[in-house]
Amino acid sequence: MALAAEAFMTQLAAAEPWPENAALYQQLKDEQILLSDNASSLAVQAFLQMCNLPVRVVCRANAEYMSPSGKVPFIHVGNQVVSELGPIVQFVKAKGHSLSDGLDEVQKAEMKAYMELVNNMLLTAELYLQWCDDVTVEEITHLRYGSPYPWPLNRILSYQKQWEIRRKMKAIGWAGKSLEQVLEDVDQCCQALSQRLGTQPYFFNKQCKGLTFQYRRLVPKIRPTELDALVFGHLFTILTTQLTSDELSEKVKNYSNLIAFCRRIEQQYFEGHDKDSSSSATSRSAKRSLLR
Amino acid sequence: MAAPMELFCWAGGWGLPSVDPDCLAVLVSAAAAAGAAPARLGPARFSPARRSPLLQTYARFTGAPLKVHRIANPWRSPSGSLPALKTKDEGVISKMQQIITHLRKQKYNADYDLSAKQGADTLAFVSLLEEKLLPVLIHTFWVDAKNYVEHTRKWYAETIPFPLNFFLPNCMHKQHLERLQLMWGDGYMEDEEKLEKELYRDARECLTLLSQRLGSQKFFFGDSPASLDAFVFSRLAPLLKAKLPNGKLQQHLKSLQNLCNYCASILSLYFPWDGGDPLASAPRAAAADGGSDAEDDPHKRRNQVLSVLLGLGAMLGYAFLSGIVSIQRGTAGPAARRPVTIEEDEDEEEE
Repeated sequence: MALAAEAFMTQLAAAEPWPENAALYQQLKDEQILLSDNASSLAVQAFLQMCNLPVRVVCRANAEYMSPSGKVPFIHVGNQVVSELGPIVQFVKAKGHSLSDGLDEVQKAEMKAYMELVNNMLLTAELYLQWCDDVTVEEITHLRYGSPYPWPLNRILSYQKQWEIRRKMKAIGWAGKSLEQVLEDVDQCCQALSQRLGTQPYFFNKQCKGLTFQYRRLVPKIRPTELDALVFGHLFTILTTQLTSDELSEKVKNYSNLIAFCRRIEQQYFEGHDKDSSSSATSRSAKRSLLR
Repeated sequence: MAAPMELFCWAGGWGLPSVDPDCLAVLVSAAAAAGAAPARLGPARFSPARRSPLLQTYARFTGAPLKVHRIANPWRSPSGSLPALKTKDEGVISKMQQIITHLRKQKYNADYDLSAKQGADTLAFVSLLEEKLLPVLIHTFWVDAKNYVEHTRKWYAETIPFPLNFFLPNCMHKQHLERLQLMWGDGYMEDEEKLEKELYRDARECLTLLSQRLGSQKFFFGDSPASLDAFVFSRLAPLLKAKLPNGKLQQHLKSLQNLCNYCASILSLYFPWDGGDPLASAPRAAAADGGSDAEDDPHKRRNQVLSVLLGLGAMLGYAFLSGIVSIQRGTAGPAARRPVTIEEDEDEEEE
């Protein structure tokens, strides 16, 4: 969800250029962050990389409570704090950086629709897996989610969160689903993404006309959009995260063009130029070996 | 042919075949699946004279063994909720998506001609609607105080049969409210301005995106309707047709001319007998339902006789117990009658 004063803020923000010390906050990379948060965080990082906006990744145990919307990741730019991909895309757009300017109206509509598809199915499936699948909850979620806190608090917070997510699942009608059904949904979603991607390098093959970037390096002929960032964030995280079983990643691995897509974005945007976040770079290189 | 499947839906109103978006989606997708040649569905084939709001047989033009019951009492649905599909081999299916999937398995598939990419687009736009538009629609119809009290509750209270109409609309209101609170968090429901700004803006954007995607096409994927059309129509039509006192979102939809035309054309294509009269409103629909009930409900007469008998029985029982009427044994002249009656009265008081 967006921030309340966002419209006002973005007007203010428009005038200021992107500062060098912009920071992205998320939970502790190695011991705390969960699949869904990691995916969202990676999506935002990919988006900012695609816009060529430098950002430093900061890991904080209480990132969730620092965020204005209660969700990670959030970015701290100048004196503003913006959370989640949607609002961040708008915020960055107000500063004159946009990845989807070159698209026509129909493509923009389709791009938004596919972004909602990812949020609606992949993100929800990740949440389901980590909070409603009993094995995963026992073995991974509770341990990781409560890891920064001392004993009774870690249990209390984990159960509180679990209860909240389960109620949400009930509200959207996912509570009655079995794990198989959820995996089936993931498969359906991946199939849709794979079909849409086809043999293209990115989801929307339109050259960007307005290149107003200050930090312009070698601008590729075909540019990705925020949809590519979002899909990459989720699929890459699913592919590279070790869970209790690899059923989820197996579903994605059936689609070779999606895997090639993840690799392409990783090579183009994450290899060689994130010195700022050395910790995430190392963990990413560890993950890369998993991907290959 | 196998026994027909039976579909239970909310009754129609506001010029729509059903007021509930989920029911509407099922109806339209069933009709669209069967109606590869929509011309066959013309009003001549299904004249108003043969129309029965309670039991609508789409089978006639679809060839699908599907009976449609449009009812105003969810308790009469086999699953207790609407929509519900009663099938022979899989029991009762009660979720919109599952019903459509089931119909698809039975080869009533509106997406038969779509390419894989179009299938992917369908999934994407359905997600867009569910994430952005649906919660705001629920808010517009069920939570927005003015709309709920003056429009939604009024319609449901008039349509749902007697004892239920006092509490069922409130129950539904509570369910929807709880659902939104879970989806948005409690803070959003209280902060009216925030809600207005963020969520209604998202919903308006969603409508605009749909309008852009539709462009000047007749349906989303060219000339023939698909399940996406059923879904979009079912979400947009109630918003377009309802006479909401507080029509913020409605105004925006009405300004998107191609979406309005799109809804009108689907309505006239598949439900000419419902959409023909734009003034068709709740009371008329309710009256029509009431009027035709007698012919359609085989138990109507029996129920009437039973209720009259029950009423009479209760009245007589009361009269007898409280001593207004008494029964005497034996025969006596009028002179002897009075004291006996008084005696009985006293007996009652002693007890």
